[in-house]
Amino acid sequence: MFRNLTAALIIFTALVLQVSLVNRLLGAYAPDFVLLTVLTLAALRGPTAGAVIGFCGGLAYDLLPPASHTLGQYALLMCALGFVVGRFGENAPMLTVAIFAVIAPGLAAGIGALLGNPGVTWTVLGSAWPRAAVCNLVAAPAMVWLLSGRYRQRRRRGGSGSTGMGPTTSWGRGMA
Amino acid sequence: MRDTRRARLAVGLLLAAALVLITVDRRVGSGPVLGPVHDVATGIFSKAEQVSATVTKPVRDFVGMLRAAPEAKQTIVALREENAKLRTEVASLRLDGTRAAKLDRMLGLAGLGRYRVVPAQVLARRDFPGFEDAVEIDAGTNDGVRPDMTVLSGAGLVGRVVRAAADSATVALLTDPAVSAGARLEGGNQIGVASGLGEAGGGDNLIKFRLLDSTVPLPLGGRIVSFGSQRSKPYVAGVPIGVIQRVESLPGDLTKIAYAKPFTDFSSLDVVGVVVQAPKRDPRDSVLPPVPRQAKQARERADERSGRDDEEADEARDRMEEGRAGAAPGGHRSRAREAPRRPAAARAARGDGRN
Repeated sequence: MFRNLTAALIIFTALVLQVSLVNRLLGAYAPDFVLLTVLTLAALRGPTAGAVIGFCGGLAYDLLPPASHTLGQYALLMCALGFVVGRFGENAPMLTVAIFAVIAPGLAAGIGALLGNPGVTWTVLGSAWPRAAVCNLVAAPAMVWLLSGRYRQRRRRGGSGSTGMGPTTSWGRGMA
Repeated sequence: MRDTRRARLAVGLLLAAALVLITVDRRVGSGPVLGPVHDVATGIFSKAEQVSATVTKPVRDFVGMLRAAPEAKQTIVALREENAKLRTEVASLRLDGTRAAKLDRMLGLAGLGRYRVVPAQVLARRDFPGFEDAVEIDAGTNDGVRPDMTVLSGAGLVGRVVRAAADSATVALLTDPAVSAGARLEGGNQIGVASGLGEAGGGDNLIKFRLLDSTVPLPLGGRIVSFGSQRSKPYVAGVPIGVIQRVESLPGDLTKIAYAKPFTDFSSLDVVGVVVQAPKRDPRDSVLPPVPRQAKQARERADERSGRDDEEADEARDRMEEGRAGAAPGGHRSRAREAPRRPAAARAARGDGRN
C-alpha cells in the first residue's frame, strides 16, 4: 500500500514538474520525465504493477491541464509499455527503459496519427522522433538511478529479501 | 511474478478501458461523462502547477538569463537600430493614426480595436512534437474566460482558449498544427488562412499562411493580421499575427502559400491576455464601402500639404462625398459640424433626383 502511494506521489510530482518547469525551460528539447518515471517504476515492479502504473500515469498525463489531445491516448500507450517493460526489465532495467524511451515517442505519434491528428507527418516524425529519443536517452540513466537507488536503499535497510539477483531488481518485484 | 494469466488479463482489461476512453472522448467530447472528470483533474493539477510555477520561477529566470547572455550584446545593437527605425515609423503612424481615427468615426467602426482583456500568467506548457502545443494560464471562468476566446500577447496573437476551468484555462497555441485562424494581408486586405506548423515550423515557430487568391502578390515582410470570426469567436479581428518570411508559389496552384514568423515569441510565453469582450460591432470588411477615387485623390493632396491641415482635408473629403452620394454615410459626424451642411446635401440629393 505504502509502495503504491509513493509511486503515485512520484508520478504526480513528475507530471507537475514536467509541464511547469522542464517543458518551459527546455522547450522542444525537454526529455519526457513522466514517461521515464513510469517505465522505470514498471521495470522495478513487474508486469502487472507496470500495466497498472502505466494506465494510471498515462490517464493522469491525459488529464494534466494544458492538454488538447484525445483522452486515453497516453493511458493506452503507457499501459502497454508498462506491461512490456515490466516483463522484460527484470534483468536489465536500464537497458529496457532506454530502449522503450527511444521507441515511445514514435508510438505516441503513431497513435496520434491513427486518431487523425493533423500534425503527424513523416517529415515531422523524421525530425522530432530522433530528437525526442536522444533527449529521453540522456535523461534515462539519471531517472533509473534515482528511482532504483531509492528501492535499493530501502532493501538494505530492510535487510531480508535479497536473493542476489542484482542490486536493483530483486526488491519490489513481488505482489503487485 | 512472471508473465502470468492474471497479468495478461489485467493488461487486457486496462488496454480495453483506454480504448473505451478514447472512443468516448472522440465521440462525445468532454460532455456530461468526462466533463466532471476533467474539471476535478484540472482543479487539482492547476493548483499544483500554480505552486510549482511560483516555486521554480527563480530557476527559470536564472536559466533564461544565462541563455540570453551571449545574445545580449547583439540584442542591444539590434534594439538601438530598431528604436531608430520605430521612431521614424511612429512619426508617420501619428499621421496615419489621425486619418484612421477619422475614418473609423465616419464608418461607425469606432469599436475596432477596443477589446476588454484579462491578463493572465502562463503556468504550464506542453508541446509534444506534432501532437499539440498548449499552455495553461491562471485565469478561468471566474475571471470571465470561456472556451473559444482569443488570447493575445503584447506582440500579437497567441491562440485560443479550448477549455476553461474555475481558475485556469487551456490555450491552444497558434503553432499547434490543429489550430488555424482566418487572416489577411495588412494593407491589401487579401484573405487567407494562417495555421500552425508545429514541429515543421522549425526553431522560429513559423506558421503557414495560405492566400486564397493566387494572383495577388505576396510581399516578403508583409504583415498578417487576424481576419476575425463571426461574433468574434474564436478570433477577434485586427490582431497582428506575423511577418511573411518565405513565399512558396507553385504555378497552377489555386492558393499561394507563405511562411510567416509570428510576432509572439512562442518559446518564452509568460504574460498573455484573454479577450473577454470583443468590440460591440462586428468590424467586418464587407461593410466598408469603396473609397471613391476623387475623394482619395483629394485626401492624398490634402495630406501632402501637411497633417496639420486636417481640418481642410476633412472639408475637401466631405465635399467630395456629398457630391457622390448625397451625404449618406454621414451618420457619425459630430452634429454641430453636420448641421450647416445639411442644406447642401439636400440640394445635392435633389439634383441627383432631377437627373
